[in-house]
Amino acid sequence: MKYTTFNQQPVDTMKESMFFGMPVNVARYDQQRHPIFEKLIEKQISFFWRPEEVDVSKDRVDFLKLTEAEKHIFTSNLKYQTLLDSIQGRSPNIAFLPIISIPELETWVETWSFFETIHSRSYTHILRNLFSDPSEVFDDIVLNTEIQKRATDISKYYDDLIFHTQLYQTHGIGTHLVDGKTYNVNIRLLKEKLFLCMNSVNALEAVRFYVSFACTFAFAERELMEGNSKIIRLIARDENIHLSSTQHILNLWAKGKDDPEMAEIAKEKEGEAKEIFLLAVEQEKQWANYLFRDGSMLGLNEEILCQYVEYIANQRMSAIGLGKPFEVSSNPLPWMNNYLVSDNVQVAPQETEISSYLVGQIDSEVDSEDFQEFEL
Amino acid sequence: MIIDDKKPKICVNADTWFAYNGEDNLLIALEKQNIDVHFHCREGFCGACRTKLIKGNVNYVIDPLAFIDDDEVLVCCCVPTGDIELKTY
Repeated sequence: MKYTTFNQQPVDTMKESMFFGMPVNVARYDQQRHPIFEKLIEKQISFFWRPEEVDVSKDRVDFLKLTEAEKHIFTSNLKYQTLLDSIQGRSPNIAFLPIISIPELETWVETWSFFETIHSRSYTHILRNLFSDPSEVFDDIVLNTEIQKRATDISKYYDDLIFHTQLYQTHGIGTHLVDGKTYNVNIRLLKEKLFLCMNSVNALEAVRFYVSFACTFAFAERELMEGNSKIIRLIARDENIHLSSTQHILNLWAKGKDDPEMAEIAKEKEGEAKEIFLLAVEQEKQWANYLFRDGSMLGLNEEILCQYVEYIANQRMSAIGLGKPFEVSSNPLPWMNNYLVSDNVQVAPQETEISSYLVGQIDSEVDSEDFQEFEL
Repeated sequence: MIIDDKKPKICVNADTWFAYNGEDNLLIALEKQNIDVHFHCREGFCGACRTKLIKGNVNYVIDPLAFIDDDEVLVCCCVPTGDIELKTY
């Protein structure tokens, strides 16, 4: 079916599934098949922030004091995060929007991607401050083999879904010959590709960021690179909402609350979904190994970081019914939670940044004694 | 342990009982009893504090946004409406 930006057929979106129904026409939210996406949009928008609000200038001084091993950890993590958000800033839009059939989910995906672009802009904000020429860091993202390995596994499910959707929307169902290769296109196959893609995105939001987060917050625990940590906290908070959305999509499918065919696929492809997740966990562990190749950093080593990945993976996998494959039951890095609590994340200057802002603050406590000198 | 009859009773993992103080959300109430519960956002959108509700009902103080199954609650943003029984993950 051809994609149209405004479907002229009347559509009852209350009867449409999330994906592969009729293209959305009116962006209306007065009636919703899955109201959760509207709630997520509201929450996400309430979290709006700009990288420039966070002062990272002190980080440069801290950075120069880091050991070579620590500098490697810090910049490599930024590179990896830049890669992840480069992919996430565009892919949900390109892969999911052409096949979404309900307006609330369409707008959620757009909101989600938009916030990923804020994240990308914040990496530039951080790097510009640390390096007079950040090009070297950015250029290495495409050349570094450790990052390449991860990029391949993250983007392949997106690319596969996008390619097959394009075939479907330009040539329809059937067998198509493209550049000497034959491709079979049918709805079932597209839905399977969508399912795998969504699982890969879910795993990305669930575990792929967490090794980097842990390193960032470990620096902050030593009162180093705090501007950077403040930004990463905001990013972590956003990623938590994004994760919540992919968990909702997967569970709506699995529990038969959306498209019944997707429920079948979820059952059929559960093994593959699990493999996607476990591969992401494995790659995160290898990433920890790469980070610490020149030596570890104070308060963190490869072993404890790998345990943390397993701990997070247990939580995230059980949330979508994939069980708890790892032994770890208690949090090996309890201080991480202090950085992940939504309340602790504040950016407005009157709240944290400039202490002088609070010094001259008006005393709002008024006692009856304060009126003693008044005479009427 | 003597439990005040007027206050809702909270049972956790079938072996710990305590009286609810009427003000804390369930996560804080559990933490005050030194019961280990996973948490991240404490605002109902990350889902880390997902807990099984075996008996009883809860009221949400903040609209829960994270996915929970029909028999689960997000303890960070709800309060018990009466006696309840929970099982932590």
